[in-house]
Amino acid sequence: MAKIGLYLCECGPNIAQAIDLDEITEAIKKDNKVAGIERHKLLCSDDGKKFLAESIKRNAFERVVIAACSPKQHEGTFMEVMLEAGLNAYMFQLVNIREQCAWVTPDKNAATLKALTVIRAAINRVKHHAALEKKEIECNPNVIVIGNGIAAIEAALKTAHNDRKVFLIVEGKRIGDTYKNRRLLLSSMQSAEEFLRSKVDELKSNKQIEVFENSKINEILGFFGNFIANIDTEKNKNVELAAGSVIFALEAESFVPKALTNLGYGKFDKVYTAAEFETIDVDETEPKSVAIIHCVGRKKLGYCSKFCCMNSMKIARYIKERSHESKVVQFYRNLCLPDKQYDKFYKDTKEKGVEFVRFQDIEVAGEESRLAIKYKEENGKESKLLVDIVILSTGLVPASKTEEFSQMFNIPLDEYGFMKEEHNILNPVATITEGVFIIGGVRGPGDIDDSLEQAGAAAGKILSSLVPGRLQPLETKISRVSEVICIGCGVCVNVCAYGAVKLDESKHISVVNEVLCRGCGNCASACPSGAAQHRHFTTKQINQEMIEILK
Amino acid sequence: MSKNKDILVIGAGLAGIEVSLLLANAGRKVYLVERESYFGGNAIKSEEITPNMECATCMLAPKQADLLENKNIELMTLSEVKGISGDVGDFKIEVSKCARYVSSTNCIGCGACFEPCPVSVDNEFEEKLSKRKAIYIACAGALPNVPVIDMDHCLRAKGEDCNICKEACMFDAIVYDDKNETIEINVGAIVVATGYTLADTSHLDKYGYGKFKNVFNAFEFERLRASNGPTSGVIQTRDHKQPKSIGLIHCVGRDESGYCSQVCCMYLTKFAHYIFDRLPEAKAYQFFREFSIPGKGNQKFSNEVREKGVELIRTKNLKISENSDGQGLKIEYENESVNESIDVDMVVLAPYIKPHPSTTKLAKLLGLELDDFGFIKTGAFDSVSAMRPGVFVIGCAEGPKFMKNVIIQAQVAAANTLRLTED
Repeated sequence: MAKIGLYLCECGPNIAQAIDLDEITEAIKKDNKVAGIERHKLLCSDDGKKFLAESIKRNAFERVVIAACSPKQHEGTFMEVMLEAGLNAYMFQLVNIREQCAWVTPDKNAATLKALTVIRAAINRVKHHAALEKKEIECNPNVIVIGNGIAAIEAALKTAHNDRKVFLIVEGKRIGDTYKNRRLLLSSMQSAEEFLRSKVDELKSNKQIEVFENSKINEILGFFGNFIANIDTEKNKNVELAAGSVIFALEAESFVPKALTNLGYGKFDKVYTAAEFETIDVDETEPKSVAIIHCVGRKKLGYCSKFCCMNSMKIARYIKERSHESKVVQFYRNLCLPDKQYDKFYKDTKEKGVEFVRFQDIEVAGEESRLAIKYKEENGKESKLLVDIVILSTGLVPASKTEEFSQMFNIPLDEYGFMKEEHNILNPVATITEGVFIIGGVRGPGDIDDSLEQAGAAAGKILSSLVPGRLQPLETKISRVSEVICIGCGVCVNVCAYGAVKLDESKHISVVNEVLCRGCGNCASACPSGAAQHRHFTTKQINQEMIEILK
Repeated sequence: MSKNKDILVIGAGLAGIEVSLLLANAGRKVYLVERESYFGGNAIKSEEITPNMECATCMLAPKQADLLENKNIELMTLSEVKGISGDVGDFKIEVSKCARYVSSTNCIGCGACFEPCPVSVDNEFEEKLSKRKAIYIACAGALPNVPVIDMDHCLRAKGEDCNICKEACMFDAIVYDDKNETIEINVGAIVVATGYTLADTSHLDKYGYGKFKNVFNAFEFERLRASNGPTSGVIQTRDHKQPKSIGLIHCVGRDESGYCSQVCCMYLTKFAHYIFDRLPEAKAYQFFREFSIPGKGNQKFSNEVREKGVELIRTKNLKISENSDGQGLKIEYENESVNESIDVDMVVLAPYIKPHPSTTKLAKLLGLELDDFGFIKTGAFDSVSAMRPGVFVIGCAEGPKFMKNVIIQAQVAAANTLRLTED
């Protein structure tokens, strides 16, 4: 029998006054399951920690139960003391008799009984604890970036450094292709081509960045710190690239309003989407009057794409700058101007003579050689306006390859088809697959500022976690699957949120990837045969703990 | 000359916490300076966060716990940066640290000291909706869980020989002769994350804030709904009555500020959700100009709240007055050129977001340029680099933004800081 030591912390008056620690000591002594019981005024104090370490050593305890406060507060503290005392940090159980007994149970007898019960349970549990070892792995600091737009370029520029190479893979295109079709950048009204050229020049002069244009990704295998991509480049087939992290930076695509027949798209030549309008020769078209219709597809898409109000105004100003006489009318529902600079941009746009009309319903019809905008305002007033061309300000939809790439890493898609963030607020560019990041159009609609910021954010996550030359510590409390018991049903594969459990086809059993497992225990609770076990919450540990409580 | 790799982060709200954790994880020493006695910033004042309505403190607490345990991060509360010299790669910083009068080493946070304290003053954290003692923690769950003595109100500062808190403390944690300190630190780069405040719109007569007791601002309402707040989450008027109808006013002061504060449409929609959740019989009205809810997820949340029955009224002109009996409020407004009015029991304003006064002060001290609106100016297409080499600015000190974007900027600043101070 392993020698178990029990320590009772008085926590000043907090525990000592609310719980009868003498009674507990007597009862545990009678149980005769521990080799010694010690009591201290405040175990977490420097004095207390010193006492604890020395006492464990002196008594040669092999396992330890501490009855004190919440594990949230001091589990880490006491695990360090365990190490100091020469024991494995997991041969220990902390029982919360403060927050869960002393502070919430006013009746002293009831509190004492409750504390005694959970202490007994912990003693029964700790007998079945196993020593767990901390593991570390070597990591590759290199980065694979997939995409061809500004987010991809920025991500490459921000991550490349002396000791970190970046492989920028552009599938089936040249770098920056889509930007060549844009005249001006949002709000700053800077030339998009110039901006892009300066970024591409920077990219090409950086020796740590390798760009693979016109390439194809065959597969990416591996996990955080150790990914291997197999790609076909322009010159070679099956090129292998090793990296520690992967950034998906595909650009979002423009919604194609084919189904919205009332807006005349596909029916009249002079009805363009905003993206198409960027590519046509405006001087040749010479529009005298232009209608720009906002929020096209918003109802169908189910979200506001954020960039379109500003983009519509940018186009309006572009037309006005070329021909001040032309009439440009913005038909909108709600103006979305979420930046400190945008109200001013809107005011300036109005001052330049661009008109704004709020509509409730709108329809585009042909009338002789022109286009008729028939609209109803919010007050119900119906009007008509004849124009030469109509520009549909459409929302953004996920890049077409989003789904394919998401399957490569088991990254779930959200209800709109974008890749899901690990957490929409707290971890917005990470995914549930550690080391795989999503920026720009694969993770949601946004503008150029969003793309640039998200690229920098992914860089921040990578630079701070994959430090060249440093070993990566792994989660200690993880799951494992017994080869003998596993029947290969695959239930655990489906419930793992981190893609850490895979079916080994040859052996027909499940295998846990120790790098990816975060120890959530989903597989262990779902496993019908008991083969999947969480290493620090084994069925035996939990059962033995419960038996004491339910006695 | 070798660059100093240590980093100074000013402000321990959401932005400061995120960037500090990332830098510390990269192996850097971080000095995190926070002016308040607690950290977590404005984010911990909210009950829930849109669009998924997750509990705000539950979202932040694990990060706060990680930070407190992180040996690379030195959190300095009750502290302010008072001086700077040097340049990028080698800044010398002077931090003034106010006395807490409670030993962080000895205190276990049991709270035995503040119960017997005889002093009672308005609790600023609770928007003065409740009282606190002279020795106190800002709210239940505030971290670090160590009280502070407010010497402006402590009886000892008035010459009285009160030592009730010291007697109540079993851990010898009360230190009456604790002193303010000036600490000098050397760092290679600085991240400013000093946050925002809501504009005081009491001078805008038409809203009646500060004049009519049941006109609340957004933070006041947020604390009313907070389960750890002054009413334990019960939404009530200042007369302790359950409101039957509440008017939520968008864009308060937008003409004065000259910008959209981004987050108000969503949080007022959240308030409508709070109202239907806590007071199912109550009516809620949102008086808005433009409904701006960019990004995925927000439309869905807004649709759900609309289905619960919030009434959306578009208006550019409105005026709030108190009924003659002093009980209800009247909102008169112009809708499609027609004058209408609604009687409500409570009004909640969404005043524009402006830089925190300490942001302005700090910008001057650090020699940082401000933009037209008083936020710290950054480079074009580089939203986190302030106009002084080696200084970055993140979060709402740079401009109003959603929490998600605060986190993103913190992560960008981590990348920039690490690159700048790398060999």
